[in-house]
Amino acid sequence: MGERLHPAAIAVFAVAALRDAALPALVILGVSVLGGGLDADALLRALGLAVLGTAGAAAIGTIRWATTRYGLAGDAIRLRAGWLSVKEVEIPFTRVQALDVEQGPLQRLFGVQAVHVQTGGGGAGGEIVLGALAPADVVRLQELVAGRRPQALPEQRPPVPERRLSRRMLLVAALTSGQLGVILPLLAGFSQVADDLFGDPQEGGRAVAGALPDSAGEWALAAGGLLAVAWLLAALGTVVAFAGFAVRREDDALRMRRGLLQRREVTLRVARVRAVRVVEGVLRQPFGLATLRVEVVGYAKEPAAAQTLFPLLRAADVRPLLAELLPELADDPGGLEPPPPRARRRYLLPPAAVALGAGAVAAIALELPWLLAAGLAGGAYGELRWRAAGWRLAGGRLAVRSRMLARSTVLAPARDRESHDLAQTALQRRARLAHVEVAFGKRTSARVRHLDLDVARGLWAALSRAEPTSTAHRGGARKGRGAPLSPPYAHEGRR
Amino acid sequence: MAEPSAIPEPTRRLAPQARWVWRIYWALGSTAALMAGRFVGDEAPGALALLLWALPLASLVIGTPVLPELRWRRWRWEVREGEIDLMRGVLVVRRTLIPMGRVQHVESERGVLEQSLGLASVEVHTAAGSHRIPLLTDYDAGLLRAQIAELARMGDEDERERPREAAKPEGGEAPGGDADDG
Repeated sequence: MGERLHPAAIAVFAVAALRDAALPALVILGVSVLGGGLDADALLRALGLAVLGTAGAAAIGTIRWATTRYGLAGDAIRLRAGWLSVKEVEIPFTRVQALDVEQGPLQRLFGVQAVHVQTGGGGAGGEIVLGALAPADVVRLQELVAGRRPQALPEQRPPVPERRLSRRMLLVAALTSGQLGVILPLLAGFSQVADDLFGDPQEGGRAVAGALPDSAGEWALAAGGLLAVAWLLAALGTVVAFAGFAVRREDDALRMRRGLLQRREVTLRVARVRAVRVVEGVLRQPFGLATLRVEVVGYAKEPAAAQTLFPLLRAADVRPLLAELLPELADDPGGLEPPPPRARRRYLLPPAAVALGAGAVAAIALELPWLLAAGLAGGAYGELRWRAAGWRLAGGRLAVRSRMLARSTVLAPARDRESHDLAQTALQRRARLAHVEVAFGKRTSARVRHLDLDVARGLWAALSRAEPTSTAHRGGARKGRGAPLSPPYAHEGRR
Repeated sequence: MAEPSAIPEPTRRLAPQARWVWRIYWALGSTAALMAGRFVGDEAPGALALLLWALPLASLVIGTPVLPELRWRRWRWEVREGEIDLMRGVLVVRRTLIPMGRVQHVESERGVLEQSLGLASVEVHTAAGSHRIPLLTDYDAGLLRAQIAELARMGDEDERERPREAAKPEGGEAPGGDADDG
């Protein structure tokens, strides 16, 4: 059945095979080189192995190309691949969420494109991946799928211009993408200290206590170096992922383009977008900048970049941009209701206590009493979390703001929730406070801590009334809350 | 905690034998902690060593009779046409509402101990994660699973029969396939 991929697929498959084999090959190479010492003989052997590996990869690529067929049969896309073990996939057009087009360096070299057939089934990447297709074939495929899919009601929107990420904003995004860069070196630093402390309890402790103060410069240098490297990597990652980012609304889908080496064109069906997160990173919030992320059903395993609606924009531009791209979810991220003032100390005290405890341990171990000030830092962190906290439920739209490191505001229609919780800890009981938590997906959960109990109950009950007339996923409008079903087993004693 | 307005609290309980399962697990866990505490405690300084065996011992002697009982009394659940309602927790009392339309699939599970007591746990999966109703009688669990699956399917059929007013073409979105229980 069906057609072959473009012959460039041989190269694509071969490179994939090489990449899969790269690590073991490097290990073998390393062992053989180290084992025999680094002489001409070993080099020759390594070269021989490399040639052999490349030839093997080319053979694998050829076989995979020759045994891969795709086709459009009836109302489905089919793929049949494999030689010894044959894999067959068939996806009905109605289930195709999107045909995502991707062009890596290799594909660009041959002037072909890779197509990911997305069903939103939850795995990373497309459920069918066609490694190399001629552009004409891609267009044909897209037209076929578009034609066979039951047409959306022509909800005529005026054509909207594409929103692009400017070079300047890309640069700013890269420079401020260092969330990881802040944490990683800290962790490395701590693990180093811990190592020294507990690796050899007596010697280590004394060595650290004695050695730390005078090698503080080295510490700072090492930490600084790590920070710089992590920062640079994060910045590079951002540039590679988001260079040339552009997004456009088209009927019931968002079309996005992005990527420096790997050019991707992605279609995101709006019906699958459950929530928007306005994320203001630690380095971005001071400059009034934010990232927009989306929670998409079945996308939890895709890389974070795939869940980005816009990499960087001014916080003030969030609302207009959302109104243009996702009016279904657009809401004002500001003007939220804070928890009651009596909740403030509950935000402050726990992090202060934890930090004070850790500071005390460190202060005793290192004989540096000023480390007790960590308690203050903990309190300050709690204060920041307190200031960030807020919520609003108006017109069926829920907005919840919170902070871990970055300040994050979840905007979503209440009816798109997956579940919602009202939780009260033993410590909250007397103060009449409670948490409310609303789950919208694997990565998005809107949580307001320490609300007044009556307010929390009201919010929870209001959420319960927001009937999940899901836009697409499933579930029709419910006809009100039924009585508890009296199951046939209700009176049937327990065995 | 008292019920939020309009929605009655769930009333159904777990199987009474659940307490025994939890007691056994709690006792086993405490004993393991006690032994580990004794083992490590030899090396630790005085006050810490005391703590290391006193805490697990207290947990074994006091916790075993008290906590499973409390936990069992607090656990309530209810399945209504539109939602699954869970309420549980000793230190943190948590009430969860899962719209029936969000249920992706249901599975039930029985460990060795559970099997010997004729118990099973039911796990309800949504796109955001899963929720567990532990230690029901086998009979309850089977019926519950079938019932949730049936209600979730009914939701799908509603969806199909409804005129497509929302401009959402995906018949394919309605997960006829993946809503079936496992």
